[in-house]
Amino acid sequence: MLIRAFLSHYQRHPFQLAALMLMIVLATMLWTGVTVLTDQARSSLAQSEETVAARAHIVRTDGQPVGVEDFVRLRKTGVCVAPWLEVKRPAPEGQVIGVDPMSMACFGRSAPIQDAASLDGMPFMDIGDALRVSQEGYDSQLYLIAPRDDIELPQGYALRAFSLAPPTGELADSFLLNLDALSLLVLLITGLLIRSVYRLGLVQREASFELLYRFGVLPRRIRQLLVLELVVLTAVGVPPGLWLGASLAEALGTGFGQALGSLFDLTLYAESFGSLPWRAAVVMVALVLTVCLLEWVFPQPRQPAMVSAYARLGGGALLLAGALGVVLATELVWVFAGTALVFAGVGLLTPPLLAAVEERRSVRSGATASVADPLRRWRARELSVMFRQLALPVVALQFSIAAVLAVHALVTTFESTFEQWLGQRLAADFYIEVPQGGDSATAARRLNALEGLGTWHLVAHGKAQVRPEEAGTGADPLTADLMALTPITDLVSDWALLSSAERPWRELASGAVMVNEQLARRHDVEVGSPLELTIAGTRMRTNVVGIYADYGRPVAEVLLHADTLPAAFTPRSESFSVNKGELSRDVIHDRLADTWGAPDLQVRDNASIRELASQIFDQTFLLTRAISALTLVLAAVALLIMIWVFFTTRVWYFRLLGVWGLQGHQVRRQLRLLSVRLTLTITAAALPLGIWLTWVLVNRINPLAFGWSLPMDLYPVFWLELGLMAGAAGLLVAHLMRRQLERDANGERP
Amino acid sequence: MSGTLLAVERLNLAFVSAGQRVPVINNLTFSVAPGESLAVVGRSGSGKSTLLNLLCGLQTPDDGVIAIDNESFGNASDAVSIARWAELRRQLIGVVFQQANLMPALSLVDNVRLRTHLAGRHKQDERWWLQRLGVGDQADRYPDRVSGGQAQRAALAMVFAMSPSLILADEPTGSLDRHTADEVAESLFNVQVETGCALVLATHDSELAACCGRVLDLSAAG
Ligand SMILES: Nc1ncnc2c1ncn2[C@@H]1O[C@H](COP(=O)(O)OP(=O)(O)OP(=O)(O)O)[C@@H](O)[C@H]1O
Ligand SMILES: [Mg+2]
Repeated sequence: MLIRAFLSHYQRHPFQLAALMLMIVLATMLWTGVTVLTDQARSSLAQSEETVAARAHIVRTDGQPVGVEDFVRLRKTGVCVAPWLEVKRPAPEGQVIGVDPMSMACFGRSAPIQDAASLDGMPFMDIGDALRVSQEGYDSQLYLIAPRDDIELPQGYALRAFSLAPPTGELADSFLLNLDALSLLVLLITGLLIRSVYRLGLVQREASFELLYRFGVLPRRIRQLLVLELVVLTAVGVPPGLWLGASLAEALGTGFGQALGSLFDLTLYAESFGSLPWRAAVVMVALVLTVCLLEWVFPQPRQPAMVSAYARLGGGALLLAGALGVVLATELVWVFAGTALVFAGVGLLTPPLLAAVEERRSVRSGATASVADPLRRWRARELSVMFRQLALPVVALQFSIAAVLAVHALVTTFESTFEQWLGQRLAADFYIEVPQGGDSATAARRLNALEGLGTWHLVAHGKAQVRPEEAGTGADPLTADLMALTPITDLVSDWALLSSAERPWRELASGAVMVNEQLARRHDVEVGSPLELTIAGTRMRTNVVGIYADYGRPVAEVLLHADTLPAAFTPRSESFSVNKGELSRDVIHDRLADTWGAPDLQVRDNASIRELASQIFDQTFLLTRAISALTLVLAAVALLIMIWVFFTTRVWYFRLLGVWGLQGHQVRRQLRLLSVRLTLTITAAALPLGIWLTWVLVNRINPLAFGWSLPMDLYPVFWLELGLMAGAAGLLVAHLMRRQLERDANGERP
Repeated sequence: MSGTLLAVERLNLAFVSAGQRVPVINNLTFSVAPGESLAVVGRSGSGKSTLLNLLCGLQTPDDGVIAIDNESFGNASDAVSIARWAELRRQLIGVVFQQANLMPALSLVDNVRLRTHLAGRHKQDERWWLQRLGVGDQADRYPDRVSGGQAQRAALAMVFAMSPSLILADEPTGSLDRHTADEVAESLFNVQVETGCALVLATHDSELAACCGRVLDLSAAG
């Protein structure tokens, strides 16, 4: 009987129950989707890192360092083991690792170095050479590495974990960090939303709880029932949300592993979605219970005026501290912490601020009596009340619009840069790598002789040490990827350069260089800057005549003409980019395969690669966009519910306008003006936050996490689109209200 | 002629509830002269509120004629008559309910200002009217920060400020205690006589009804 009285509210307002359920289902779906995707990315990366890097090294159980005699003893007992000498040489030359390719033969495919040819001292070199380096007085450490961590060892030895720590690891971690940050934001927003919908129902039920209390029901019992009710609600709402979220993630995430793979040059293993992600469910249940039952932990203070004054003060302090933290932080964690503080501050400040703005507007519209429009004043006052009473969903919507704005700006910048990059790198029809031992000069001559062939060029790849002249001779040079071109054709001369000198390609042919955006941004290299290059031990001075876009590739690049290369240079690899002209792929293939005596020569079709790359990246972008768009939808639904319930309590007053002589269409106009202004104001309030978030992503998080920064582009057209969407949402709300108004033509008085 | 402001002739209205036709107003005929006060009494559910709604066009009768200032309205609910009724409510007919007559987001004085603005009056005498009804000190407060009696006084100030020809009051003192109710009623009658507007007052309080010039008993009429 008590339970029936307890639930009678939902009997009269089934919509509120449905709304709460809907929120729980949607929030679970969103959260599950995000966690499944993040987990998938995480475990894929972990697995690939393992294959690249995870290895074991052998230590002596007596604590003594291992030496040559240990190596000999172990090899004699048949243990597969190889020496690994790390010599900590300071820059510019840097650390080297001495290995013995011979003894690594027993490692099979898991050997970090497959052949002696790739030992060029960056960082791997032959152990004999490394030993000589170490005798110059540098610290060194000898490891004995094993291929697996499960091999049998003789008495006195043990295995320890050993990692190559591939340079990609940090990148991958940063990417995951970004995903984590996004999901934390999602969790925050969903928490706000669920709480707001729940509180709304609770406030309306307070009177009946009061009544039950007067009938002698203990408050403790009421609380028990409330908890029970919430548990039942989550039990019913979480599983379908879980299922929906997992399906969503599966639909979106199939191409995700691939995308990561091409981003970080790692082989990834797509994980199958075996079971439902119950961990997400636990988090969700905890979230729902926490946000809904928060009052019991922190009892609400009685004087709301005092609270809002404190809230404003605290909000301002948080905002300031957070903004300062973001600007000053040197570590990613602090940037995230600062961002969280800024969001908290903005969340506390926005509702009272918007309310105050409307208040001012209402005062102004009363001040000049000749043009005074009391109806406008009424609307402003009404909005001011709404911003206070709907604070939570207003803030949630503001946050999600800001997130959508930032993600959009970032992703759009990414996309356009990426498109250009693809156009640059895959300009020719075909890409052919010169096979091991193949002679590129002969091949070039034979291509020249090929009648009807389109333009082509040959690129030699290698490494160069770069030192910007401005940095002074004391500065450390950095290692850059070197690309040497010949001849210069329209395959490159059409590149859209970020900045360039006059006739840059002609300059390049006569000895100048171009650098990528990465190198330019991180080391303040500009067009005209002098540059000191060291290639194959030869030092040369040149200057920069162009800067090309690189889609944030975290490695510095230098582009020059092959004639500029010193004679001592031997390329690590060479490749031809060929436009087919009037010839077919087969003719080109046969000519080159014949030249090199390599019948299984690969002629890569750039068009199909380009298409594949675009697809993969589109999927990644789609995923990021989908997460932010879903958050937006969720927030909009919540706001819709809240406005609807809020207006329900105001229906009588809209009717009063009718009693005072406003016609139906005039009342509806007031309604429209109110709701459209509400949604537009929230969008406007989200705009600065969104721009700031974009700035943080582009200029703080990305440089710290990825080591590169993209240009910060803003997209006012998208703001306009969002504004239009907000306006449309406002009209939709007004339309729903209108139906409510008409249905309850004799609406109850409060 | 100056004889009638409001004339009601053979008015009929029935509600359909659960498939049953329930007549509420039956062949009702009466008239009210300018400046006259008429009490509408009857037991609960006898149709007092319904009648007042009919008299200001918020509801449409099944049958019969309502004439305001010699302008007749029948049972048509077309756009033209809806618009005309709205205009009358804006300028000529002031309506006061038992409670919730004020916009909660506006201060008392702003409520009055909004109402007179809608009535097309721009005399800016809102504060004077609030003073006149005894709530001048509360003018800048919000409805939820004043007592029920003060809110009703403000509601009356609001209606008088629009200088209507007819006031329809539906138990305006119904939610007040005896003492306050008497005070508010006294103000109401005083100002009504002063301004010379007609008053139709629905109440089940016989003392209050006795203060009116005439009484229309709906229970008896039904
Ligand atoms: N919208 C409606 N639909 C159906 N029946 C209605 C509706 N409004 C009123 N009624 C019925 O019409 C009758 C008259 O109602 P009304 O509110 O006019 O009575 P009243 O005399 O004002 O009563 P009270 O003194 O309690 O205020 C009642 O029986 C009521 O149930
Ligand atoms: Mg009534």
